[in-house]
Amino acid sequence: MDFIIAKYNYWIYITLMMIGFYAMIAKNNLIKKIIGMNIFQTAIILFFVSISYKRGGATLPILTDADAHGGHVIDVAQYLNPLPHVLMLTAIVVSIATLGVALAIAIMMYRKYHTLEEDEILKAIK
Amino acid sequence: MIVEQAPVLIVVICLMSAVATPLVGWLKRELCYPWVILALLGSTLCSVVVLNTVMHEGVIHYRLGGWLPPWGIEYVIDHLNAMMLVLITGSALLVAIYSKRSLEAELPDRTIFFYTLYLLQVTGFLGIVITGDVFNLYVFLEIASLAGYALIATGEDGAPLAAFRYLILGTVGACFYLLGVGYLYMVTGSLNLAELAEILPRLYGSKVILVAFAFFMVGIALKMALFPLHLWLPDAYTKAPSVAGALIAPLMTKVAVYIMLRVMFTLFRPYFSIELLPVTKILLYAGIIAIFMGAIMALAQKNFKRMLCYIVIAEVGYMVGGVGVANTVAIRGAILHVMNDVVMTLGLFAVAGIIAYKMKNNELTAFDAIFKKMPFTMAAFLVVALSVIGVPPTCGFFSKWYLIQGSIMAGNWIFVGALLFSSLVNVILFFRIIETGYYDFGASGAGGAHSHDERSVVSEAPLSMLIPTFVVAAAILLIGLYNQSIITTIIDFAVPKL
Amino acid sequence: MKTLSLIVSIIVGAFLMYGTIDMPAWGDPNSPASTHVSPYYITHTEIDTATPNIVTSVLADYRGYDTLGETTVIFTAGMACILLLRRRGGRNEARG
Repeated sequence: MDFIIAKYNYWIYITLMMIGFYAMIAKNNLIKKIIGMNIFQTAIILFFVSISYKRGGATLPILTDADAHGGHVIDVAQYLNPLPHVLMLTAIVVSIATLGVALAIAIMMYRKYHTLEEDEILKAIK
Repeated sequence: MIVEQAPVLIVVICLMSAVATPLVGWLKRELCYPWVILALLGSTLCSVVVLNTVMHEGVIHYRLGGWLPPWGIEYVIDHLNAMMLVLITGSALLVAIYSKRSLEAELPDRTIFFYTLYLLQVTGFLGIVITGDVFNLYVFLEIASLAGYALIATGEDGAPLAAFRYLILGTVGACFYLLGVGYLYMVTGSLNLAELAEILPRLYGSKVILVAFAFFMVGIALKMALFPLHLWLPDAYTKAPSVAGALIAPLMTKVAVYIMLRVMFTLFRPYFSIELLPVTKILLYAGIIAIFMGAIMALAQKNFKRMLCYIVIAEVGYMVGGVGVANTVAIRGAILHVMNDVVMTLGLFAVAGIIAYKMKNNELTAFDAIFKKMPFTMAAFLVVALSVIGVPPTCGFFSKWYLIQGSIMAGNWIFVGALLFSSLVNVILFFRIIETGYYDFGASGAGGAHSHDERSVVSEAPLSMLIPTFVVAAAILLIGLYNQSIITTIIDFAVPKL
Repeated sequence: MKTLSLIVSIIVGAFLMYGTIDMPAWGDPNSPASTHVSPYYITHTEIDTATPNIVTSVLADYRGYDTLGETTVIFTAGMACILLLRRRGGRNEARG
């Protein structure tokens, strides 16, 4: 049971991911699919950001005044890992852009068929 | 100076032109078309310069911003990359020249933003192929995908739903790729392709690496339309406008095959992908099933574009199966087939676009008596069809020949059987069309005077659509005639050492 | 269809959890991610870029090309929305 206690955060993120993934592929309503996609991508972002945590009192990756202007060697274990934060800033933007395009396509379909259920739209096309 | 900066100019010219296209269109709408052609011409010249440099001097490392890897991002261009760059820019240029009449007929009031997204998609493809950093690849993959979803959604009836389904499945694929990058980062700490390739061999026994590799493969398979994850492709490419289909169909799946080659052979050594995990066996079976399924479904289609989509699915099966056989000759055939398939699919979709433009009809019946009406288009179509079937001296014959030779050497008779079956089915498919086109069946004369008037009105395709089709047909013949020298100068360096 | 999706989601989730067995513990300051590339960013940001905010210096300087890609993604989404949603009003068409 030891590894569950040590890594319970990853298990929570994976559960969130799978809730979003199920909604994306199984639901019939277009908006529910889009929300599922957003949950899925947000869980991946949380997963990445949790990689950057360091125990033992690490603080945000912004240099304090003493470290910024002093000439001494900076203690790396005092600051969080900045790289996952950087990558996830980009990933958040990408997820918003995908959300925007998905909603635009959903609006196109609503204007034409006046419904947001996938099976009704399929029937209307045929 | 141009030669030094050529790698970054390829992407930057395309990107900056894409940003400037709405301004150009606002000034005067008709300027968009020459602007797009100018931009793609610049990118094509730079990619030819880069190919030349790689062939003479070896691998290029271009450090963006001057930062050394792994702290900054770098471009790594070897023979495989350089070949893909020339293919992408060349196809985009040809489709751009071809696009004017087709776009005016199908989407007359949306040309400015269509061209903007067109250039953005080409930028995305170029960025994917040229980079040496795994996270950067994800960003450009999303640029290309988003532009693709939007271009497809502007098509005919039912296109938005097809684009929406493609969006959902494509986002699943890209997010699986991102998960793979995350798992790899967690146990190595690096994002640079070359450095990961050095750190990973120590960690091959780790479960995290195994899961990361599996998610890479599934994400790429979704983008590549490998069976059974191909369900988005027929609807999306059939309902898209002709120009969008001619741009996306040759390039998207082949860029995904490129990513698979990089992940399997550059990021993880061939030892991992072939011997440690039975990945190549799974790829081989998936390829075989894709070939059979693509061939059988293509026979059942009445719509010409839908038939072409199933042919594309079968072609992906050739490439993946070739990698699955996993010996040098078969992988050489698979990489040559990537080059051939870009050109062949471009030719097929270009002809489909011409038929849609002239006949306003996408069914196979549009081909009635077409050899008399459009002899030049059909001559080019004949060359492309012979290449898909695999008749020498067109290029399709040579890549099939290497694939068959490689699988005979590996003792893989099922794959040989699948390749021959697919060639037979292609013969049936294309000769059915040629027969419909050559003879004047009574069905089209049943309308009497009405159809006689229609027939005399339809004439040859406009020159701006015809010339790119001819260039593609000429390229098919040239690649076939010169395939030996192409293989010895470019492809043999791209095949991994097994 | 729904049961198939449920089974696929559970299998994918189980596979992901199987991968967590070999992961470094949460918050370990000696994990590979915290000791390989990022210490360089923390120690050299003041020297190379004179910016105390390390995330900014990585985003805008060391990995600025990724940020260019990110702004292009936003631009693509904006252009896509205009292409897909603009109504055929006629007001913009008159300008030619």
